Amino acid sequence: MNGESTSTRGAVAPAAGPKGTGRGGRRLPTNPDGMIGIVAKILLLGFVDAIAAFALFQLAINGEWLVFAVSLIVTIGINWIYLRRGGLPAKYLAPGILFLLLFQVFAMVFSTYIAFTNYGDGHNSSKEDAIDSIQLSALERVPDSPQYAATVLDDGGELALLVTDPDGNVSVGTAEEPLEPVESAQLDSTGKAVGLDGYTTLAFGDILARQGEVADLVVPISDNLDDGTLQTQDGSTAYVFKPRLVYDEAADTFTDVSSGKVYTDSGEGTFQAEDGSTLGVGWKINVGFDNFVRAFTDQNLRGPLLSVILWTFAFAGISVAATFALGIFLAIAFNRADLKGKRIYRILMILPYAFPAFLSGLVWSGLMNAEFGFINNAILGGAYIPWLTDPVLSKISVLIVNIWLGYPYMFLVCTGALQSLPEDVEEAARIDGAGAWTIFRVIKLPLLLVSLAPLLISSFAFNFNNFNVIYMLTGGGPRFDDTNLDIGATDILITMVYKVAFGGAGRDYGLASALAIIIFIVVGVISAISFRKTKALEEIN
Amino acid sequence: MSTSQTSTRTPVEHIPQVKMSFGRWFKEKGWRHVVAIAATLFSIFPLVYVLSAALNPTGTMAGTTSLFTNVGLQNFVDLFSDPDRPFGKWLINTLVIGLTASAGTVFLGACAAYAFSRMRFAGRRFSLLALLLLQMFPQLLAVVALFLLLNYLGDIIPAIGLGTSLGLIMVYLGGALGVNTYLMYGFFNTVPQSLDESARIDGASHMQVFFRIILPLVTPILAVVGLLAFIGISSDFVIASVVLTDPDTQTLAVGLYSYVAQQRSENWGVFAAGAVLAAVPVMALFLYLQRYITSGLTSGSVKG
Amino acid sequence: MKVQNLPGTTRRAFTLTALGASAAIALAACGGGSTESAESEAPAGGETSATLTMWTDAERAPALKDIAAQFKEDQGIEVDLVIKDFAAVRDDFITQAPTGKGPDVLVAPHDWLGTLVQNGVIAPVQLGDKADDFTEASVQAMTYEGQVYGVPYAVENIALIRNTELVGEAHETFDDVVAAGEASGAEFPFLVGLDPKQADPYHTYPLQTSFGAPVFEQAEDGSYDVSQLAMNNDGGKEFAQFLADNGDQGTKVFNSNVTGDIAKEKFLAGEGAYFLTGPWNVPAIEEAGIDFAIDPLPTAGGEAAQPFIGVNGFLVSSYSENELAANEFVVNYLSTEAAQDALFDQGGRPPALISSFEKAASDPVIEAFGEIGTSGVPMPAAPEMQAVWADWGATELNLIKGNESDPAAAWEEMSKNIEAKFNG
Repeated sequence: MNGESTSTRGAVAPAAGPKGTGRGGRRLPTNPDGMIGIVAKILLLGFVDAIAAFALFQLAINGEWLVFAVSLIVTIGINWIYLRRGGLPAKYLAPGILFLLLFQVFAMVFSTYIAFTNYGDGHNSSKEDAIDSIQLSALERVPDSPQYAATVLDDGGELALLVTDPDGNVSVGTAEEPLEPVESAQLDSTGKAVGLDGYTTLAFGDILARQGEVADLVVPISDNLDDGTLQTQDGSTAYVFKPRLVYDEAADTFTDVSSGKVYTDSGEGTFQAEDGSTLGVGWKINVGFDNFVRAFTDQNLRGPLLSVILWTFAFAGISVAATFALGIFLAIAFNRADLKGKRIYRILMILPYAFPAFLSGLVWSGLMNAEFGFINNAILGGAYIPWLTDPVLSKISVLIVNIWLGYPYMFLVCTGALQSLPEDVEEAARIDGAGAWTIFRVIKLPLLLVSLAPLLISSFAFNFNNFNVIYMLTGGGPRFDDTNLDIGATDILITMVYKVAFGGAGRDYGLASALAIIIFIVVGVISAISFRKTKALEEIN
Repeated sequence: MSTSQTSTRTPVEHIPQVKMSFGRWFKEKGWRHVVAIAATLFSIFPLVYVLSAALNPTGTMAGTTSLFTNVGLQNFVDLFSDPDRPFGKWLINTLVIGLTASAGTVFLGACAAYAFSRMRFAGRRFSLLALLLLQMFPQLLAVVALFLLLNYLGDIIPAIGLGTSLGLIMVYLGGALGVNTYLMYGFFNTVPQSLDESARIDGASHMQVFFRIILPLVTPILAVVGLLAFIGISSDFVIASVVLTDPDTQTLAVGLYSYVAQQRSENWGVFAAGAVLAAVPVMALFLYLQRYITSGLTSGSVKG
Repeated sequence: MKVQNLPGTTRRAFTLTALGASAAIALAACGGGSTESAESEAPAGGETSATLTMWTDAERAPALKDIAAQFKEDQGIEVDLVIKDFAAVRDDFITQAPTGKGPDVLVAPHDWLGTLVQNGVIAPVQLGDKADDFTEASVQAMTYEGQVYGVPYAVENIALIRNTELVGEAHETFDDVVAAGEASGAEFPFLVGLDPKQADPYHTYPLQTSFGAPVFEQAEDGSYDVSQLAMNNDGGKEFAQFLADNGDQGTKVFNSNVTGDIAKEKFLAGEGAYFLTGPWNVPAIEEAGIDFAIDPLPTAGGEAAQPFIGVNGFLVSSYSENELAANEFVVNYLSTEAAQDALFDQGGRPPALISSFEKAASDPVIEAFGEIGTSGVPMPAAPEMQAVWADWGATELNLIKGNESDPAAAWEEMSKNIEAKFNG
């Protein structure tokens, strides 16, 4: 299957790397490479250094000293790698690793960090943001209060609000001076006050230029703050507002104005009252190992866990084995120079790989429709086979579709790898009277496995987390009967993680990351062990 | 070069071909055709539905009822006539980004594979294992991380920030050292080291060995990796949709998806038409690369 | 591999460094220069005009483009439309808004409000007297926890579409409808698209409410009490029985194998007498040359059949630094008759502004859908709905497939599961 990470269609591919300055590091090694090599090297390294210098300059301006230091070290490191004499491997590895660190490892570090937080819906930003937004949504218009037509005035740098109520009474006020009636305002044709002596009226453009200031302008209606305040959101209309919740900065609490209920920081990223009720918007905090503890103690995960784990291994294992078997068989079958039409066959065979996977998934779910699907209707003559809704058949269907999606990849890779087989060995074996199967089993397969074994392991890992094919075909269904969770017969671990962490009231990235990391550790250990066992790291030379 | 395969298969197969019995022909080649046709049918028949949907102006994608009941080119016309969804530009963007990034992937991957295959250094085995494990890390939050990173990078170097093709290409290059490296590493290992050693004795630098001896010998795998990378990049939706938001800079996968992104008002017909056309560059690239993929390793310099 | 130590290396390295460094200085100088000029431009630009960023999806972009151009002409504020994939808008907005890179304004369906408010990414807007210009249900839908969070512009709901060639006149009850459908000789008397993975509680909701089983209790002002389910009542259990009776093992009026696309295809082919669907399928039906009428939703349980209403609206980011310009655009501009007319002309969705709707209602299809919508209720917007939909759908699917021997018990079980998720 598509085991490579960037090119797994639809799968979330690589990601980000830490700060630092991206640089298109290319390198050519030192040595007696002739003029072209040297010139190329000078140009490339100069180019890289130029970008680095530019980035460092920008970082210095922005005062990002930590990133500046890291970038500087990286830049010096690159120059050192290419200017020194030894260290040849580094010269070849540096550019790829640089991109890898920047974009892939950063995503790893980030995910790991998130696993230790409560990041998710309701906890998506800082505490300051949460306080701001609670205040924003708690500021309610006083019911049945008049709607004022408003004009923004400037009084020597300070803003004032000139408002006309629905009866035509005009008043003016500032942040310090509560609203006071005025008589002498200039009115426009609709009766709205648009100017006042001693003040400058701000035109719309001026208001926009100072929109932050205007939006923050709060004019008390009277000396008693409980009467409410006038504010404008668009510079032309003002309403009387009163907060439902008041924030006490010193005590770090919100108080409900009508009920007197006090909400304090619960230490869990929310404001909580004594009766346990919380304010909707929370913030992101570090929660230590809480998410991991939840992952191991969550009752919801208990019930169907074993069958999901078994199916995950079966799904990944069978997918790899079947696609590889099919791919290598076809590659060998077509690896004959005198086979007519092999170019056409090859191109048609890799077509499934060239179409968007979710489109194919949709087509397959139509084909497998029990009543109207092509497979039941046309191929099986009107049989009613519940391909996608029977617990056993749905597993088979998912495998069929996954094989369909994945074997072109294996076919391509095997076709390429076959070219590396020395033909004289095969020739000799043939002359010795070995049959085709023996040649394949004894000679070709071991040689191919040398180059393809790591690929099979990584293909296993990819299928272990092959969210897309499950999700688009069955959504994990049909559901298990013995659980009240939304988990079913074709759910693999990663789709279960998705449902558990995102299926409740909002998405819980913290829990999802923790679960995903646990899965990673499991599959990583298995892969590392099998990697050593296959001796894939040993060369044949 | 390209004849090496046939010639090593010995003339024995060629001469009796003229009067080969059916049984013999079937044993030698006929079964291959049978397999090929079966496999091709398996590959193709779901896609026939896509083609049928592409030609069906009603825009459904049930995949169930009879095929080609309603044939017309309206979907293709629609595809090219919406100024807000510039299909032509998407195609060009995809080609530019896909070809650049896959060329970069091949180059970076080949360099790394060369180092792993031909040099011995501290941390080599560890690096190989680390590369493999890195692939397995669940990328659940990759998009969020990526957004934050490009957001930051864009503040420092605007040319690689959010919304830039260059930024997207760099992200794809982040995945260059992965399975691709393994694929090439395995292939590099099959090239006898005696070849580069004799070249070194002749006075070639390691760079010359790499470019002039190794790379020509491993063109099949370079072509495979290049093709796989191109397919992967051109069908990537998740990352590209976060990085590229202006319709004029989007790739095909992102742009086309907008036709079906909204539940209940999907336009599968136009989407399918776009998918059919989007498969054309992949096919063309495969046709172009096919001769390299099957050109055979044991050619040229090995024999010589 | 050993690198040969050559005499020339040091000198070469030196030249190289020198060249590289000078190139670096040159580039840095250019780069630095350009940044400075960019910085000096920014405040100058800000004084004369503001630029708003707005996220929209490709469907709505054309209409908004014209309105944005007009707005620029009228108020001098540029609106930069960013076309996002509809499916990605909500999640991307929640992640990106706190970084300051999010948009000022976005288009969204009202059932996202719960999640957006929960994340503190949208700000309330004050419609003031303008609220009366919109249909009551649309403003209700845009209200969450007592605050209005957006300016509504389009209202959508489902209706019963009848193939008039097959069935001549409208029927009021579900039984009559099905009987008429069967009498017509059509292969499918009654079509409704169901998701094979989780049925479709949205489409079956009017039938459910006709049994007196709304999902949540609604307060006077239209807000939902999401603390407990209301559909766990006798009506709900009757509805469960009704689904089972009319499911795969029963009359097959609800067929779990009929997906949305299959239902559409069958109806377009003239093989269906009735089609329970929304306005999004009307253009295709017209194009296919089917003579159709839009009937009120039939009642199955005797009470009124209330469909869910989906309202699209314009929201303002709470992280916007252009809050005034954003409010000007959203509250004062997009709420005008001209803007809502233009949005209707391009998008074809029934407008939320009463005066625009009345104009649009010269089209009988719009009028009929609008008429049916007045009896509807807004889809609940609480973040908890995600859990509700999943369990609700799965249970309905099981009922329709005839997998539940005791439908009432299955319904009870479902309600318990959903409530457990609320508390957990």
